[in-house]
Amino acid sequence: MNVIELKHLTKNYGKSRGINDVNLNVEQGEIFGFIGPNGAGKSTTIRTLLGLIHPTSGSATIFGKSCFDHPEVRKELGYLPSEVFYYEKMRVIDLLKYSASFYKKDCTRRIHELADAMNLDLKRKIADLSYGNRKKVGIVQGLLHDPQLIILDEPTGGLDPLMQQKFFELIREENKKGATVFFSSHILTEVQRMCDRVAFIKEGRIIQVEKVRTLRENNYKRIHVEARNRLDKNIFQIDGVGDLKVRDNEASFIFRGDINAVIRKIAGLDLINLSVGEPDLEEIFLHYYEKER
Amino acid sequence: MNMYVHELKALRKSTMLWTVVLIGLAVMYLSIYPGMAHDAKDFVRLLANYPPQIRAMLGINLSYITSILGFYSMIFSFIVLCGAIQGMNLGLSVLSKESREQTADFLLVKPVSRPAIVTAKLFASLTAILATYWIFYAAAILIANGVKTDNFDGKVFFLINLTLLFIQLIFFAVGMALSVLFGKLKTVLPLSLGVVIGFYLIGALINSGKNDPAVRYFSPFNYFNSAYIIRHSAYEAPYLITAAGIVVAAVLVTYIVYSKKDIHAVS
Repeated sequence: MNVIELKHLTKNYGKSRGINDVNLNVEQGEIFGFIGPNGAGKSTTIRTLLGLIHPTSGSATIFGKSCFDHPEVRKELGYLPSEVFYYEKMRVIDLLKYSASFYKKDCTRRIHELADAMNLDLKRKIADLSYGNRKKVGIVQGLLHDPQLIILDEPTGGLDPLMQQKFFELIREENKKGATVFFSSHILTEVQRMCDRVAFIKEGRIIQVEKVRTLRENNYKRIHVEARNRLDKNIFQIDGVGDLKVRDNEASFIFRGDINAVIRKIAGLDLINLSVGEPDLEEIFLHYYEKER
Repeated sequence: MNMYVHELKALRKSTMLWTVVLIGLAVMYLSIYPGMAHDAKDFVRLLANYPPQIRAMLGINLSYITSILGFYSMIFSFIVLCGAIQGMNLGLSVLSKESREQTADFLLVKPVSRPAIVTAKLFASLTAILATYWIFYAAAILIANGVKTDNFDGKVFFLINLTLLFIQLIFFAVGMALSVLFGKLKTVLPLSLGVVIGFYLIGALINSGKNDPAVRYFSPFNYFNSAYIIRHSAYEAPYLITAAGIVVAAVLVTYIVYSKKDIHAVS
């Protein structure tokens, strides 16, 4: 069953912003990553899905229903926005209780569990909290009703590395219990670490949807070569090379394919330095998938 | 219900403050009354020297001014002005504050429909307005009885006071409709002061002119003429209907526009 379905989803804001003909399915139990640079349309897509923004055309549904026509489907939804703001005058516990009151079940135990896990003081006023602590309130608020679908929009900003880890543990636990997770980010390592599948969005269009495992198996390398002599501009013009930059005695590129082909080329050079590393997903998307479209 | 209670708590302080202000105004003005009633003749002579336009603008009616109802209806226009600002402020802010304080991303992804949110906020605001009104009215009766030099008609007093509630409701409803029509309101008070005082001045100008019945429709402050109320113990039906029409239309606009509105991301 698809928990999230986007069909030809389009939202125009006049000129260039917005999203265009976005099609996406997220299956039950998946952790789905949604990657793209800032301004690519991640938030617009998510907000349309949540029923905050009306689509210009196409449809966005969760559990098969549109949030506009069936606002009650959101009772199985937990959402953590990228910027968290809550009623400043309330205490944390009162805010969380208010949040829980929308779901018609007792969430007290879960609130305390989550607050303990995140090391959050429930008695403080929202107004007195630091950015990181507000974010924790957001996390507890998004998870306290054991939602079946968790939507996270750039969730880790403002959390220190330890808390990020804690947070990802929590999300994984929820996922193990059966929750589907949809997760937008421009920080790719966290997406790589967490997700089963990823979609890459750029300038309002989905460029590619791919399994993270496939991406890894394809053996992409980022290679940087520094030679003693000036390099021939065409030396690395071979199949599987992308993002090639040659300047004087340095060359840098991403490679996909039989690593021996490159190594043979490199072996013929008089090197000062060589580095072979893992490119991040954005580079892979930008230099392979986009070109193939 | 949870949203209603939440909203009511949020409105508690400002409602108490407005109630105190309104009662304070009544105390301040009515405390002059005993002195004025004592020197009634001199007072009327003094006011008679004012140009008739100015008298009309200030709502001074020489034949009633020295009676407590006449005096009260004159000073009441300031209380109504204040009540109008309260109503407008409340109307403009009750929905728009979720966007302004950036809590819309919290409330609007809860499993409730937009109309349900409007309803909860509408009823919470009405509760606040009614509370303000009834507490003020109770206080006004006490004060008026304290300063009166002669008995007065309780029904007329009630009818005059009730116009405060009507004006509060009109400006509240208009404020709410305006708040959903505007893209994003950064601040509320300057706008509500501007709109309310604008209508008040229009009303005062209409009073000082020929007071044409058709022109009176332009300002809600002119819908309820206290001289008419004192004379007839009743309201003028066409204006009462217009007032009701404005409120109903503004509330409808609010429901429709708010349900279709896009809630954009913070910043």
